[in-house]
Amino acid sequence: MSAAGAAGTLPLTGADCFLRAFDHEIRRMNGASHVSQLVLRLGPGFDVSGFQGMVEAAARAHPLLRAPVARRLGLGAPVFRLAAAARCPMPRIEIHEAEAPADGEPPLPELFFARLNQPLSLRRGELLRFDLVRYAGGAAGADLAASWLHLLFDGAGSERFLRWLEECFQGQRPLAELPDPGEVAPVRSPKPSFGERGRAARAWQGWHDAMGARPPRSLAGPLRRTPQALRYTVSTFTADETARVVEAARRRAGFLTPMLFYLAAALRAHHAVFQARGVDPGSYVVPLPVNLRPKGGEGAVFRTHVSLIWFQAFPEQMDDFDGLVADLKAQRVAAIRAGQIENGVHAMDFARLAPRRLYAHMARKSLGGELCSFFFAYTDAFLPGLASFFGAGIRNGFHVPPVPPSPGSCLAISLREQRLNLTHVHQRGVLSERELAIFHERLRADLLG
Amino acid sequence: MAGTTQAELTQRVFEILRDDLLDAGADFTPRSNLVAAGLDSLAVTQLMLAIEESTGVWVDDSLLTPENLESAESLAGLVYRQLQGS
Repeated sequence: MSAAGAAGTLPLTGADCFLRAFDHEIRRMNGASHVSQLVLRLGPGFDVSGFQGMVEAAARAHPLLRAPVARRLGLGAPVFRLAAAARCPMPRIEIHEAEAPADGEPPLPELFFARLNQPLSLRRGELLRFDLVRYAGGAAGADLAASWLHLLFDGAGSERFLRWLEECFQGQRPLAELPDPGEVAPVRSPKPSFGERGRAARAWQGWHDAMGARPPRSLAGPLRRTPQALRYTVSTFTADETARVVEAARRRAGFLTPMLFYLAAALRAHHAVFQARGVDPGSYVVPLPVNLRPKGGEGAVFRTHVSLIWFQAFPEQMDDFDGLVADLKAQRVAAIRAGQIENGVHAMDFARLAPRRLYAHMARKSLGGELCSFFFAYTDAFLPGLASFFGAGIRNGFHVPPVPPSPGSCLAISLREQRLNLTHVHQRGVLSERELAIFHERLRADLLG
Repeated sequence: MAGTTQAELTQRVFEILRDDLLDAGADFTPRSNLVAAGLDSLAVTQLMLAIEESTGVWVDDSLLTPENLESAESLAGLVYRQLQGS
Protein backbone atom coordinates (compact mmCIF):
# COMPACT_ATOMS: atom_id res chain seq x y z
CA MET A 1 0.00 0.00 0.00
CA SER A 2 2.42 2.58 -1.17
CA ALA A 3 -0.14 5.39 -0.94
CA ALA A 4 -0.50 4.91 2.79
CA GLY A 5 0.97 7.69 4.88
CA ALA A 6 3.83 7.30 7.28
CA ALA A 7 1.43 7.56 10.20
CA GLY A 8 -0.51 4.52 8.99
CA THR A 9 -3.31 6.41 7.34
CA LEU A 10 -4.73 6.62 3.86
CA PRO A 11 -6.79 9.65 2.79
CA LEU A 12 -10.26 9.26 1.40
CA THR A 13 -10.63 10.38 -2.21
CA GLY A 14 -12.69 13.47 -2.92
CA ALA A 15 -15.45 11.23 -4.26
CA ASP A 16 -15.35 9.24 -1.00
CA CYS A 17 -15.86 12.45 0.95
CA PHE A 18 -18.67 13.53 -1.36
CA LEU A 19 -20.42 10.23 -0.63
CA ARG A 20 -19.57 10.49 3.06
CA ALA A 21 -21.68 13.65 3.17
CA PHE A 22 -24.69 11.60 2.06
CA ASP A 23 -23.77 8.79 4.40
CA HIS A 24 -23.90 11.35 7.22
CA GLU A 25 -27.22 12.74 5.98
CA ILE A 26 -28.76 9.25 5.84
CA ARG A 27 -27.50 8.43 9.33
CA ARG A 28 -28.85 11.70 10.71
CA MET A 29 -32.24 11.65 9.03
CA ASN A 30 -33.01 8.06 8.08
CA GLY A 31 -31.27 5.82 10.62
CA ALA A 32 -29.25 3.84 8.09
CA SER A 33 -26.03 4.41 6.14
CA HIS A 34 -24.84 4.62 2.54
CA VAL A 35 -24.51 0.90 1.95
CA SER A 36 -24.03 -0.69 -1.43
CA GLN A 37 -24.45 -4.37 -2.22
CA LEU A 38 -23.21 -6.91 -4.71
CA VAL A 39 -25.16 -10.14 -5.06
CA LEU A 40 -24.00 -13.46 -6.47
CA ARG A 41 -26.56 -16.18 -7.14
CA LEU A 42 -24.58 -19.39 -6.95
CA GLY A 43 -24.97 -23.05 -7.77
CA PRO A 44 -24.05 -25.86 -5.36
CA GLY A 45 -20.52 -26.44 -4.10
CA PHE A 46 -19.67 -23.15 -2.39
CA ASP A 47 -16.66 -23.65 -0.12
CA VAL A 48 -17.75 -21.86 3.04
CA SER A 49 -14.64 -22.47 5.12
CA GLY A 50 -12.39 -21.59 2.18
CA PHE A 51 -14.25 -18.30 1.76
CA GLN A 52 -14.15 -17.49 5.47
CA GLY A 53 -10.42 -18.17 5.58
CA MET A 54 -9.73 -16.10 2.48
CA VAL A 55 -11.69 -13.08 3.71
CA GLU A 56 -9.89 -13.20 7.03
CA ALA A 57 -6.51 -13.51 5.33
CA ALA A 58 -7.40 -10.61 3.01
CA ALA A 59 -8.33 -8.42 5.98
CA ARG A 60 -4.99 -9.22 7.64
CA ALA A 61 -3.05 -8.46 4.43
CA HIS A 62 -5.06 -5.29 3.66
CA PRO A 63 -6.03 -3.40 6.82
CA LEU A 64 -8.14 -1.00 4.75
CA LEU A 65 -10.89 -3.65 4.85
CA ARG A 66 -11.50 -2.93 8.53
CA ALA A 67 -9.92 0.48 9.07
CA PRO A 68 -11.86 3.11 11.04
CA VAL A 69 -12.55 6.34 9.16
CA ALA A 70 -12.10 9.64 10.93
CA ARG A 71 -10.64 13.11 10.54
CA ARG A 72 -7.19 13.58 12.04
CA LEU A 73 -7.72 15.15 15.48
CA GLY A 74 -11.26 15.87 14.36
CA LEU A 75 -9.94 18.30 11.75
CA GLY A 76 -8.45 18.08 8.28
CA ALA A 77 -9.24 15.57 5.58
CA PRO A 78 -10.75 12.26 6.71
CA VAL A 79 -8.54 9.19 6.52
CA PHE A 80 -8.65 5.43 6.82
CA ARG A 81 -6.76 4.75 10.07
CA LEU A 82 -4.83 1.70 8.90
CA ALA A 83 -2.78 1.50 12.08
CA ALA A 84 -5.97 1.04 14.13
CA ALA A 85 -7.40 -1.70 11.90
CA ALA A 86 -5.87 -4.57 13.87
CA ARG A 87 -8.05 -3.60 16.85
CA CYS A 88 -11.20 -3.76 14.75
CA PRO A 89 -13.25 -6.91 14.11
CA MET A 90 -12.89 -8.91 10.93
CA PRO A 91 -15.50 -8.39 8.21
CA ARG A 92 -18.54 -10.32 9.40
CA ILE A 93 -19.68 -13.40 7.48
CA GLU A 94 -23.07 -14.77 8.47
CA ILE A 95 -24.36 -18.09 7.19
CA HIS A 96 -28.11 -18.53 6.92
CA GLU A 97 -29.89 -21.77 6.07
CA ALA A 98 -33.03 -21.93 3.96
CA GLU A 99 -35.15 -24.61 2.34
CA ALA A 100 -34.68 -25.38 -1.32
CA PRO A 101 -37.34 -23.80 -3.51
CA ALA A 102 -39.99 -26.19 -4.76
CA ASP A 103 -39.12 -25.23 -8.32
CA GLY A 104 -37.17 -22.59 -10.14
CA GLU A 105 -34.99 -19.87 -8.69
CA PRO A 106 -35.65 -18.83 -5.10
CA PRO A 107 -36.82 -15.26 -4.50
CA LEU A 108 -34.12 -12.92 -3.24
CA PRO A 109 -33.78 -13.24 0.55
CA GLU A 110 -35.57 -10.55 2.53
CA LEU A 111 -32.43 -10.37 4.62
CA PHE A 112 -30.56 -8.79 1.70
CA PHE A 113 -33.03 -5.91 1.61
CA ALA A 114 -32.73 -5.47 5.36
CA ARG A 115 -28.95 -5.16 5.12
CA LEU A 116 -29.34 -2.02 2.99
CA ASN A 117 -31.19 -0.39 5.86
CA GLN A 118 -28.87 -1.31 8.72
CA PRO A 119 -26.00 1.08 9.38
CA LEU A 120 -22.39 -0.02 9.27
CA SER A 121 -19.96 1.78 11.54
CA LEU A 122 -17.23 3.99 10.11
CA ARG A 123 -15.71 4.55 13.54
CA ARG A 124 -15.43 0.84 14.31
CA GLY A 125 -14.03 -0.03 10.90
CA GLU A 126 -17.18 -1.95 10.04
CA LEU A 127 -16.99 -1.34 6.31
CA LEU A 128 -17.86 -4.70 4.78
CA ARG A 129 -20.03 -7.69 5.64
CA PHE A 130 -21.16 -10.84 3.88
CA ASP A 131 -24.39 -12.82 4.13
CA LEU A 132 -24.59 -16.28 2.65
CA VAL A 133 -27.98 -17.95 2.30
CA ARG A 134 -27.62 -21.66 1.61
CA TYR A 135 -30.50 -23.65 0.16
CA ALA A 136 -30.79 -27.22 1.40
CA GLY A 137 -27.44 -26.91 3.10
CA GLY A 138 -25.88 -25.65 -0.10
CA ALA A 139 -26.97 -28.63 -2.20
CA ALA A 140 -29.49 -26.45 -4.03
CA GLY A 141 -27.16 -23.49 -4.36
CA ALA A 142 -26.66 -20.28 -2.39
CA ASP A 143 -27.03 -16.53 -2.55
CA LEU A 144 -24.15 -14.35 -1.41
CA ALA A 145 -24.52 -10.65 -0.63
CA ALA A 146 -21.51 -8.43 0.00
CA SER A 147 -22.69 -5.21 1.67
CA TRP A 148 -20.21 -2.39 2.07
CA LEU A 149 -19.99 1.27 2.85
CA HIS A 150 -19.68 3.10 -0.43
CA LEU A 151 -16.25 4.50 0.30
CA LEU A 152 -14.47 1.21 0.83
CA PHE A 153 -15.11 0.37 -2.83
CA ASP A 154 -17.07 1.76 -5.71
CA GLY A 155 -18.99 -0.63 -7.98
CA ALA A 156 -16.00 -1.41 -10.21
CA GLY A 157 -13.74 -1.85 -7.17
CA SER A 158 -16.14 -4.30 -5.53
CA GLU A 159 -16.12 -6.51 -8.62
CA ARG A 160 -12.33 -6.37 -8.72
CA PHE A 161 -12.16 -7.33 -5.05
CA LEU A 162 -14.34 -10.43 -5.48
CA ARG A 163 -12.39 -11.44 -8.58
CA TRP A 164 -9.17 -11.03 -6.62
CA LEU A 165 -10.49 -13.20 -3.75
CA GLU A 166 -11.36 -15.94 -6.24
CA GLU A 167 -7.98 -15.70 -7.97
CA CYS A 168 -6.22 -16.00 -4.61
CA PHE A 169 -8.46 -18.97 -3.75
CA GLN A 170 -7.41 -20.59 -7.03
CA GLY A 171 -3.77 -19.90 -6.25
CA GLN A 172 -3.44 -17.72 -9.33
CA ARG A 173 -2.05 -14.74 -7.46
CA PRO A 174 -0.56 -14.03 -4.05
CA LEU A 175 -2.74 -12.63 -1.32
CA ALA A 176 -0.59 -9.58 -0.78
CA GLU A 177 -0.81 -8.48 -4.39
CA LEU A 178 -3.48 -5.89 -5.04
CA PRO A 179 -3.34 -2.85 -7.30
CA ASP A 180 -2.09 0.23 -5.50
CA PRO A 181 -4.97 1.91 -3.69
CA GLY A 182 -3.34 5.27 -4.35
CA GLU A 183 -4.78 8.19 -6.22
CA VAL A 184 -6.18 7.67 -9.68
CA ALA A 185 -3.87 9.01 -12.38
CA PRO A 186 -4.26 12.79 -12.53
CA VAL A 187 -6.80 13.99 -15.04
CA ARG A 188 -4.35 16.60 -16.17
CA SER A 189 -0.64 16.89 -15.72
CA PRO A 190 0.96 18.92 -14.21
CA LYS A 191 -1.40 19.18 -11.29
CA PRO A 192 -3.31 22.48 -11.43
CA SER A 193 -2.76 25.19 -8.86
CA PHE A 194 -5.12 25.73 -5.93
CA GLY A 195 -6.64 28.72 -7.74
CA GLU A 196 -7.22 26.69 -10.91
CA ARG A 197 -8.81 23.91 -8.89
CA GLY A 198 -11.07 26.43 -7.20
CA ARG A 199 -12.18 27.84 -10.54
CA ALA A 200 -12.78 24.32 -11.86
CA ALA A 201 -14.87 23.44 -8.82
CA ARG A 202 -16.92 26.62 -9.20
CA ALA A 203 -17.48 25.83 -12.89
CA TRP A 204 -18.84 22.42 -11.93
CA GLN A 205 -21.03 23.90 -9.22
CA GLY A 206 -22.25 26.59 -11.63
CA TRP A 207 -23.14 23.94 -14.21
CA HIS A 208 -25.14 22.08 -11.57
CA ASP A 209 -26.76 25.27 -10.24
CA ALA A 210 -27.90 26.27 -13.73
CA MET A 211 -30.10 23.18 -13.81
CA GLY A 212 -31.99 24.70 -10.91
CA ALA A 213 -33.60 27.19 -13.31
CA ARG A 214 -36.11 24.41 -13.87
CA PRO A 215 -35.58 22.24 -10.81
CA PRO A 216 -36.41 18.54 -10.76
CA ARG A 217 -38.81 16.78 -8.50
CA SER A 218 -38.08 13.21 -7.49
CA LEU A 219 -40.76 10.57 -6.98
CA ALA A 220 -40.02 10.75 -3.25
CA GLY A 221 -40.06 14.52 -3.05
CA PRO A 222 -37.35 16.66 -1.44
CA LEU A 223 -35.28 15.67 1.57
CA ARG A 224 -37.24 13.29 3.80
CA ARG A 225 -36.80 12.56 7.48
CA THR A 226 -38.13 9.02 7.36
CA PRO A 227 -36.65 5.63 8.23
CA GLN A 228 -34.73 4.21 5.32
CA ALA A 229 -36.59 1.17 4.01
CA LEU A 230 -35.02 0.28 0.69
CA ARG A 231 -35.84 -2.84 -1.23
CA TYR A 232 -35.18 -3.85 -4.78
CA THR A 233 -36.40 -5.92 -7.65
CA VAL A 234 -34.21 -7.57 -10.27
CA SER A 235 -35.61 -8.17 -13.73
CA THR A 236 -33.52 -10.55 -15.80
CA PHE A 237 -34.06 -10.68 -19.53
CA THR A 238 -33.66 -13.88 -21.53
CA ALA A 239 -30.66 -14.28 -23.82
CA ASP A 240 -32.82 -13.57 -26.88
CA GLU A 241 -34.36 -10.48 -25.31
CA THR A 242 -30.95 -9.28 -24.20
CA ALA A 243 -29.54 -9.66 -27.70
CA ARG A 244 -32.38 -7.49 -29.02
CA VAL A 245 -31.83 -4.84 -26.35
CA VAL A 246 -28.06 -4.74 -26.79
CA GLU A 247 -28.42 -4.42 -30.55
CA ALA A 248 -30.99 -1.65 -30.17
CA ALA A 249 -28.76 0.20 -27.68
CA ARG A 250 -25.81 0.10 -30.08
CA ARG A 251 -27.89 1.08 -33.07
CA ARG A 252 -29.76 3.94 -31.41
CA ALA A 253 -27.12 5.33 -29.04
CA GLY A 254 -23.82 4.22 -30.55
CA PHE A 255 -21.34 1.39 -30.16
CA LEU A 256 -19.59 2.96 -27.17
CA THR A 257 -22.43 4.84 -25.50
CA PRO A 258 -25.21 2.30 -24.95
CA MET A 259 -25.68 3.76 -21.47
CA LEU A 260 -27.49 6.72 -23.03
CA PHE A 261 -30.07 4.37 -24.55
CA TYR A 262 -30.65 2.86 -21.11
CA LEU A 263 -30.72 6.29 -19.47
CA ALA A 264 -33.37 7.47 -21.95
CA ALA A 265 -35.46 4.41 -21.10
CA ALA A 266 -35.02 5.09 -17.38
CA LEU A 267 -36.12 8.70 -17.86
CA ARG A 268 -39.24 7.63 -19.73
CA ALA A 269 -40.08 4.99 -17.11
CA HIS A 270 -39.97 7.62 -14.36
CA HIS A 271 -41.92 10.01 -16.56
CA ALA A 272 -44.65 7.41 -17.04
CA VAL A 273 -45.13 7.33 -13.26
CA PHE A 274 -45.29 11.13 -13.02
CA GLN A 275 -47.86 11.16 -15.82
CA ALA A 276 -49.95 8.55 -14.03
CA ARG A 277 -49.83 10.71 -10.91
CA GLY A 278 -50.70 13.82 -12.86
CA VAL A 279 -47.74 15.59 -11.27
CA ASP A 280 -45.34 17.95 -13.03
CA PRO A 281 -41.75 16.67 -12.57
CA GLY A 282 -40.30 20.09 -13.42
CA SER A 283 -37.32 18.61 -15.18
CA TYR A 284 -35.28 15.46 -14.90
CA VAL A 285 -31.76 15.85 -13.51
CA VAL A 286 -29.66 12.69 -13.33
CA PRO A 287 -25.97 12.18 -12.52
CA LEU A 288 -24.05 9.53 -14.44
CA PRO A 289 -20.95 8.15 -12.69
CA VAL A 290 -17.78 8.15 -14.80
CA ASN A 291 -15.09 5.62 -13.90
CA LEU A 292 -11.76 7.48 -13.66
CA ARG A 293 -9.47 4.48 -13.54
CA PRO A 294 -6.84 4.39 -16.27
CA LYS A 295 -8.24 2.35 -19.13
CA GLY A 296 -6.75 -1.04 -19.77
CA GLY A 297 -4.89 -1.53 -16.50
CA GLU A 298 -6.04 -3.33 -13.38
CA GLY A 299 -6.77 -0.06 -11.62
CA ALA A 300 -7.55 0.60 -8.00
CA VAL A 301 -9.67 -1.78 -5.93
CA PHE A 302 -10.30 0.31 -2.84
CA ARG A 303 -12.04 3.68 -2.48
CA THR A 304 -14.25 5.57 -4.91
CA HIS A 305 -12.75 6.66 -8.23
CA VAL A 306 -15.50 8.41 -10.11
CA SER A 307 -16.58 11.80 -11.34
CA LEU A 308 -20.11 12.71 -12.37
CA ILE A 309 -21.70 13.99 -15.56
CA TRP A 310 -25.04 15.67 -14.97
CA PHE A 311 -27.84 15.36 -17.49
CA GLN A 312 -31.02 17.40 -17.65
CA ALA A 313 -34.07 16.55 -19.72
CA PHE A 314 -37.58 17.99 -19.83
CA PRO A 315 -41.05 16.46 -19.89
CA GLU A 316 -41.70 17.78 -23.40
CA GLN A 317 -38.80 15.66 -24.70
CA MET A 318 -40.19 12.38 -23.42
CA ASP A 319 -42.41 11.51 -26.38
CA ASP A 320 -39.47 11.26 -28.80
CA PHE A 321 -37.12 8.48 -27.70
CA ASP A 322 -34.51 8.96 -30.42
CA GLY A 323 -34.62 12.74 -30.00
CA LEU A 324 -34.03 12.26 -26.28
CA VAL A 325 -31.05 9.97 -26.91
CA ALA A 326 -29.60 12.51 -29.37
CA ASP A 327 -29.94 15.28 -26.79
CA LEU A 328 -28.27 13.15 -24.10
CA LYS A 329 -25.41 12.44 -26.49
CA ALA A 330 -24.98 16.14 -27.19
CA GLN A 331 -25.02 16.93 -23.45
CA ARG A 332 -22.39 14.28 -22.80
CA VAL A 333 -19.99 15.58 -25.43
CA ALA A 334 -20.56 19.17 -24.30
CA ALA A 335 -19.78 18.25 -20.70
CA ILE A 336 -16.58 16.44 -21.64
CA ARG A 337 -15.60 19.29 -23.97
CA ALA A 338 -16.11 21.78 -21.14
CA GLY A 339 -13.86 19.74 -18.87
CA GLN A 340 -16.68 18.93 -16.44
CA ILE A 341 -15.33 15.48 -15.60
CA GLU A 342 -12.10 17.03 -14.39
CA ASN A 343 -14.01 19.90 -12.79
CA GLY A 344 -16.09 17.36 -10.88
CA VAL A 345 -12.95 15.77 -9.47
CA HIS A 346 -11.82 19.15 -8.14
CA ALA A 347 -15.27 20.00 -6.78
CA MET A 348 -15.41 16.73 -4.88
CA ASP A 349 -11.85 17.24 -3.67
CA PHE A 350 -13.07 20.25 -1.72
CA ALA A 351 -15.42 17.89 0.14
CA ARG A 352 -12.29 16.59 1.86
CA LEU A 353 -12.07 19.80 3.84
CA ALA A 354 -15.67 21.01 4.00
CA PRO A 355 -18.04 19.93 6.78
CA ARG A 356 -20.25 17.05 5.67
CA ARG A 357 -23.51 18.89 6.29
CA LEU A 358 -22.33 21.88 4.27
CA TYR A 359 -21.56 19.69 1.29
CA ALA A 360 -24.88 17.86 1.45
CA HIS A 361 -26.64 21.21 1.77
CA MET A 362 -24.79 22.62 -1.26
CA ALA A 363 -25.66 19.57 -3.34
CA ARG A 364 -29.37 19.97 -2.60
CA LYS A 365 -29.62 23.76 -2.44
CA SER A 366 -29.73 24.58 -6.12
CA LEU A 367 -32.26 21.89 -6.98
CA GLY A 368 -34.95 22.95 -4.54
CA GLY A 369 -33.98 20.43 -1.89
CA GLU A 370 -33.60 17.53 -4.32
CA LEU A 371 -30.33 15.75 -5.03
CA CYS A 372 -31.56 14.66 -8.46
CA SER A 373 -34.58 12.99 -10.06
CA PHE A 374 -33.24 9.48 -9.56
CA PHE A 375 -29.94 7.61 -9.55
CA PHE A 376 -28.81 5.66 -12.57
CA ALA A 377 -25.86 3.40 -13.28
CA TYR A 378 -24.86 1.25 -16.23
CA THR A 379 -21.94 -1.01 -15.42
CA ASP A 380 -21.78 -3.16 -18.57
CA ALA A 381 -20.58 -6.76 -18.12
CA PHE A 382 -20.67 -8.07 -14.55
CA LEU A 383 -17.56 -10.06 -13.56
CA PRO A 384 -16.90 -11.03 -17.18
CA GLY A 385 -15.08 -14.30 -17.61
CA LEU A 386 -15.53 -15.39 -13.99
CA ALA A 387 -17.56 -18.60 -14.18
CA SER A 388 -17.37 -19.75 -10.57
CA PHE A 389 -16.77 -18.40 -7.08
CA PHE A 390 -15.23 -20.56 -4.37
CA GLY A 391 -16.27 -23.75 -6.10
CA ALA A 392 -19.84 -22.75 -7.01
CA GLY A 393 -20.95 -21.77 -10.49
CA ILE A 394 -22.18 -18.18 -10.78
CA ARG A 395 -25.79 -18.37 -11.98
CA ASN A 396 -26.28 -14.62 -11.94
CA GLY A 397 -24.87 -11.49 -10.34
CA PHE A 398 -25.62 -7.80 -10.11
CA HIS A 399 -25.02 -4.57 -8.22
CA VAL A 400 -27.44 -2.91 -5.83
CA PRO A 401 -26.40 0.74 -5.58
CA PRO A 402 -27.43 2.80 -2.58
CA VAL A 403 -29.99 5.57 -2.89
CA PRO A 404 -31.06 7.95 -0.13
CA PRO A 405 -34.79 8.03 0.72
CA SER A 406 -34.92 11.15 -1.44
CA PRO A 407 -34.85 10.73 -4.47
CA GLY A 408 -35.80 7.20 -3.40
CA SER A 409 -35.39 5.50 -6.79
CA CYS A 410 -32.34 4.08 -8.54
CA LEU A 411 -32.00 1.95 -11.64
CA ALA A 412 -28.81 -0.04 -12.21
CA ILE A 413 -28.25 -2.02 -15.40
CA SER A 414 -25.63 -4.66 -16.08
CA LEU A 415 -25.04 -7.75 -18.17
CA ARG A 416 -24.17 -11.19 -16.90
CA GLU A 417 -23.50 -13.98 -19.42
CA GLN A 418 -25.59 -12.44 -22.19
CA ARG A 419 -28.48 -11.65 -19.88
CA LEU A 420 -29.52 -8.15 -18.95
CA ASN A 421 -30.22 -7.42 -15.28
CA LEU A 422 -32.28 -4.39 -14.27
CA THR A 423 -31.95 -3.68 -10.56
CA HIS A 424 -34.52 -1.18 -9.35
CA VAL A 425 -33.82 0.05 -5.81
CA HIS A 426 -36.57 2.06 -4.20
CA GLN A 427 -37.62 3.44 -0.86
CA ARG A 428 -40.75 1.78 0.51
CA GLY A 429 -43.83 3.90 -0.05
CA VAL A 430 -42.34 6.02 -2.83
CA LEU A 431 -44.00 3.97 -5.57
CA SER A 432 -47.32 2.16 -5.22
CA GLU A 433 -47.70 -1.35 -6.64
CA ARG A 434 -49.56 0.11 -9.59
CA GLU A 435 -46.83 2.69 -10.18
CA LEU A 436 -44.15 0.01 -10.02
CA ALA A 437 -46.06 -1.93 -12.66
CA ILE A 438 -46.28 1.19 -14.84
CA PHE A 439 -42.55 1.82 -14.35
CA HIS A 440 -41.51 -1.68 -15.37
CA GLU A 441 -43.96 -1.93 -18.28
CA ARG A 442 -42.66 1.31 -19.77
CA LEU A 443 -39.03 0.31 -19.21
CA ARG A 444 -39.45 -3.11 -20.74
CA ALA A 445 -41.39 -1.79 -23.71
CA ASP A 446 -38.73 0.84 -24.45
CA LEU A 447 -35.81 -1.54 -24.09
CA LEU A 448 -37.36 -4.17 -26.31
CA GLY A 449 -38.50 -1.56 -28.81
CA MET B 1 -2.97 19.63 -40.11
CA ALA B 2 -3.33 20.30 -43.83
CA GLY B 3 -0.92 18.06 -45.70
CA THR B 4 -0.77 15.52 -42.91
CA THR B 5 -0.23 12.04 -44.19
CA GLN B 6 -2.22 9.08 -42.95
CA ALA B 7 0.95 7.60 -41.44
CA GLU B 8 1.57 10.79 -39.44
CA LEU B 9 -2.01 10.83 -38.28
CA THR B 10 -1.80 7.18 -37.24
CA GLN B 11 1.29 7.96 -35.18
CA ARG B 12 -0.45 10.94 -33.54
CA VAL B 13 -3.56 8.92 -32.65
CA PHE B 14 -1.39 6.09 -31.37
CA GLU B 15 0.65 8.44 -29.15
CA ILE B 16 -2.42 10.10 -27.62
CA LEU B 17 -3.90 6.70 -26.83
CA ARG B 18 -0.67 5.28 -25.46
CA ASP B 19 0.52 8.29 -23.50
CA ASP B 20 -2.66 10.01 -22.32
CA LEU B 21 -5.69 7.77 -22.45
CA LEU B 22 -4.83 4.10 -22.03
CA ASP B 23 -2.83 2.26 -19.42
CA ALA B 24 -1.53 -0.02 -22.13
CA GLY B 25 1.50 -2.26 -21.87
CA ALA B 26 4.70 -2.22 -23.89
CA ASP B 27 3.12 -4.52 -26.47
CA PHE B 28 0.56 -1.88 -27.48
CA THR B 29 1.03 -0.98 -31.15
CA PRO B 30 -0.92 0.98 -33.79
CA ARG B 31 -2.50 -2.35 -34.78
CA SER B 32 -3.51 -3.47 -31.28
CA ASN B 33 -7.20 -4.00 -30.66
CA LEU B 34 -8.42 -0.87 -28.89
CA VAL B 35 -11.37 -2.34 -27.02
CA ALA B 36 -9.15 -5.11 -25.69
CA ALA B 37 -6.67 -2.42 -24.62
CA GLY B 38 -9.38 -0.79 -22.49
CA LEU B 39 -10.78 1.83 -24.83
CA ASP B 40 -14.13 3.09 -23.59
CA SER B 41 -16.58 5.83 -24.51
CA LEU B 42 -14.85 8.46 -22.38
CA ALA B 43 -11.42 7.74 -23.88
CA VAL B 44 -12.84 7.88 -27.42
CA THR B 45 -14.55 11.21 -26.77
CA GLN B 46 -11.37 12.63 -25.25
CA LEU B 47 -9.45 11.39 -28.28
CA MET B 48 -11.96 12.95 -30.67
CA LEU B 49 -11.68 16.25 -28.80
CA ALA B 50 -7.87 16.12 -29.03
CA ILE B 51 -8.13 15.43 -32.76
CA GLU B 52 -10.62 18.25 -33.20
CA GLU B 53 -8.24 20.57 -31.38
CA SER B 54 -5.37 19.76 -33.70
CA THR B 55 -7.27 19.31 -36.99
CA GLY B 56 -10.50 21.26 -36.59
CA VAL B 57 -12.47 18.18 -37.63
CA TRP B 58 -15.07 16.62 -35.37
CA VAL B 59 -15.76 12.98 -36.09
CA ASP B 60 -19.45 12.23 -35.66
CA ASP B 61 -19.98 9.40 -33.24
CA SER B 62 -22.23 7.59 -35.69
CA LEU B 63 -18.98 6.78 -37.53
CA LEU B 64 -17.40 5.21 -34.47
CA THR B 65 -18.27 1.67 -35.44
CA PRO B 66 -16.52 -1.47 -34.17
CA GLU B 67 -14.63 -1.65 -37.47
CA ASN B 68 -13.34 1.92 -37.21
CA LEU B 69 -12.39 1.38 -33.55
CA GLU B 70 -10.50 -1.83 -34.26
CA SER B 71 -7.08 -0.21 -33.89
CA ALA B 72 -5.28 3.14 -33.77
CA GLU B 73 -4.53 2.58 -37.43
CA SER B 74 -8.17 2.09 -38.46
CA LEU B 75 -9.30 5.00 -36.29
CA ALA B 76 -6.68 7.24 -37.88
CA GLY B 77 -7.91 6.07 -41.28
CA LEU B 78 -11.39 7.29 -40.38
CA VAL B 79 -10.08 10.67 -39.26
CA TYR B 80 -7.93 10.93 -42.39
CA ARG B 81 -10.95 10.32 -44.63
CA GLN B 82 -12.87 12.99 -42.70
CA LEU B 83 -9.95 15.40 -43.17
CA GLN B 84 -9.85 14.71 -46.87
CA GLY B 85 -13.56 15.34 -47.16
CA SER B 86 -13.64 18.52 -45.12
